[in-house]
Amino acid sequence: MLLTGFINGIIMGGVLSLPVLGVAVVYGITGIPNFAIGLIGVFGGFVTWYFLSYNMVLSLFVGVAVCFPIGYLLQNILLTPISNKGGDATLFFVITISLGFVFEGLVKVIFPRPSISIALPYMGSFSVGGVSVEIIKLFALIFALSTLTVIRLLEIHTRPGQSWQATSRNLKLAKLVGVNTNRVFAVAHGIGCSLACIGAIFWGSLYNLNVLSGWELGFLGFIIAVVGGIGNIWGGMLSAMLMGMILSYSGYFLDGNWQSVILYVIVILVLIVSPKGILGSERSL
Amino acid sequence: MSETILKIAGLITQYGQLTALKNISFEVFENEIIGIVGPNGSGKTTLLETIAGTLKNRKGEITFLSRRIDDLTVRERRKRGLMLVPQENNIFPMMPVRKNLEVSGVLNSHEEVDRLIDYASALFPVLKDQQTQGAHTLSGGEQKMLAIGIGIVSDARLLLIDEPSIGLAPKLVTKLFNTLKQIKEETGKTLFLAEQNVKILRIADRVIGLEGGEVKFVEKSSSLDEKSFQELYMGQ
Amino acid sequence: MKDRFKYLSTLFILLLPCLLVLVGGYFQEVAGHVLLFLIQGYVAWFLLYKAGQPFFGYSVTMSLGAYGTIVLTEIYHWQLLVSVVMGTLMSCVMGIGIFLGTCRAKGFYVGMASFLLAILFPKVIDALKPITGGRNGLYFDGVYALMDTNTYYLILVFFTVAIVGFFFWLMTTRMGQTLILIAENDQLAQAVGLNTFKYKLVAYAIMGLFSGLGGALYVNYHGFISSVDIEVFTTVYIYFIPLLGGSRVCYGPLIGTIIVILVPDLFAAVERYQRILFGLIFILVLVFLPDGVGPSLERFWKQLVRAFRKVPVATN
Repeated sequence: MLLTGFINGIIMGGVLSLPVLGVAVVYGITGIPNFAIGLIGVFGGFVTWYFLSYNMVLSLFVGVAVCFPIGYLLQNILLTPISNKGGDATLFFVITISLGFVFEGLVKVIFPRPSISIALPYMGSFSVGGVSVEIIKLFALIFALSTLTVIRLLEIHTRPGQSWQATSRNLKLAKLVGVNTNRVFAVAHGIGCSLACIGAIFWGSLYNLNVLSGWELGFLGFIIAVVGGIGNIWGGMLSAMLMGMILSYSGYFLDGNWQSVILYVIVILVLIVSPKGILGSERSL
Repeated sequence: MSETILKIAGLITQYGQLTALKNISFEVFENEIIGIVGPNGSGKTTLLETIAGTLKNRKGEITFLSRRIDDLTVRERRKRGLMLVPQENNIFPMMPVRKNLEVSGVLNSHEEVDRLIDYASALFPVLKDQQTQGAHTLSGGEQKMLAIGIGIVSDARLLLIDEPSIGLAPKLVTKLFNTLKQIKEETGKTLFLAEQNVKILRIADRVIGLEGGEVKFVEKSSSLDEKSFQELYMGQ
Repeated sequence: MKDRFKYLSTLFILLLPCLLVLVGGYFQEVAGHVLLFLIQGYVAWFLLYKAGQPFFGYSVTMSLGAYGTIVLTEIYHWQLLVSVVMGTLMSCVMGIGIFLGTCRAKGFYVGMASFLLAILFPKVIDALKPITGGRNGLYFDGVYALMDTNTYYLILVFFTVAIVGFFFWLMTTRMGQTLILIAENDQLAQAVGLNTFKYKLVAYAIMGLFSGLGGALYVNYHGFISSVDIEVFTTVYIYFIPLLGGSRVCYGPLIGTIIVILVPDLFAAVERYQRILFGLIFILVLVFLPDGVGPSLERFWKQLVRAFRKVPVATN
């Protein structure tokens, strides 16, 4: 049972980690906690679902292709100007929640069905240590890990990546040395929303996708990222794994409602004891 | 010979992995003006905040009036007679000037507070002239004076002031420093000033040099030459 | 003097809903609903802007008062009044507990913890379905077993005015003035010797008390509560009330409640687009009227008056 729980936990963590990465990337670079990211991702998921019948591969790209510019434009038009005027975290909190309302409304208005499921082809399952694991879930995990690695590698070895690091570590200095910080912000936000979209697609293929799950994914993503140390993408990954395991193990003893409760209680406790998260924040909040 | 009012021994303060104060030790005597000087990032503000209690020291001892104060809160240290005037965020911007001063006297009696406010207003006339104005309407220099006024009204025995001259025009700096000297002589207080301006040598009795979180020297200011000091140490 | 006028006229306006008893029906019901949230809005106005504490858990304290009342009355068959008092006290204790749990954290993290609590609480309610009814909720007669709707409605108006009046009075006392100082500059307040811990503790206790009382009044008014009513969005709306209406003015929460609670009802006709309009309005207000609607209206009014004065008076 221990092993089963562990493996299921890791897999669950993998699925959860995508929205977490989205939040972590956005916050790590821009310093803005975006609570609407789950809904933007779900919006993209709905778009994908809409085009699914035409061409599966293309529809996946369309979803992401919609979310990236949404994130990019939102950052440029709304979030960066507010940031420059000196918006604080609570202001961004309320603004992004309001954004969430807008996207919630958009989903309701544009798409005919309130709750959807994204039917990706069944990839089958295989056995690990006597545990049956769906390949698609494993895929999510691998995707998350590789995204993480790619981001880190890009940050360290490429010029644009170094601009990213500079911007997130010391905004003033980055501007002084000539980095186009506005563009860095916009790209980061675009990527964050795209990651959230991919996360929503995975989620939609395993479970259901509706506006409620949009809020849930956004909140979950955020709190898991905070527990891991917000802005710290490795921390976010680790934290997602831990949360996955908590959900997995608690599933043996408790029913669905209590599972969520345990999760949030643990998060609150972690925050009280160690506000900077498990691995420490790369940004000061 | 004056009594020791503050004793620092082996003080170590860290920001996460970064050690900002590395094994600092020195003494401050009653009714002296002691300046702590050093380039940006040398740890002056960290030192002041550690003494005042805003930051916690990892190791070492802080002794004020012969009692250990390491474990005391900011407020408890204030009660003992030690107060910090920070560099920023040192006033209540939306309150009227007079209110700012009154609040500082919360631990004293009404008569004492009035007397101290009168004294502060005598030193800094703007505090009386603008007493009903919101503190945020004062100029930068005037806000500085208000912040120091808050320190005076607190009637602390040891007043720590973080960079009192920063942002002030040179003439005002001289005036302010002279006022600080006046305060020391008239009230018997001890002033502990963190400064980057070399003019501090003119009013300080002794000077501590801080660099990279370490004490480099503790000297009587009379034995230091202003010009060479500025070139070698202040880099201004 | 001018301020006094504003305070008193606000209280007077809050008394006006009494008149709706004559009209009854839908308008009275909506007015009552608005008043219930008005109470929460003023609680938020107090804690957030007068005491400077970033607390997001109003739905938790409100629902503790509400659930405490209804569960103790319906499930455990306590006396109604005792349940109300108990629910209110539980909420007060919760407020203090949250403060103690988060007082060592700084800034945004304090808000985060209470926000998470607000997300968590409905889930706890769902998990405790046998006692709380979960998403299906609980019904009870509550106060309507003792009096009719009109009487309770008037009592509600009375309570609202009393609670808002209390907050107004509190801000004139030394306690209130000190809280404003702490809201301005907590560090400095400590440095000059104020016992900020004590004051903040009292502020949270007051918040819990009145938010819980508001919750008890709520559940008696509607006779029903479920976890759907107290989802995290409830706390978000309550938080928006002083923010949108204007935190610096005493009638801010009044305007804010009208915007947050009434406007969506007005949009019921365009229900499809309700969320979008809602969200957009919030964003527009937050971006263009950062002081809130209240002060902006005041500025607008002053400009209007000035414009009128400049118009030459026609002479005969």
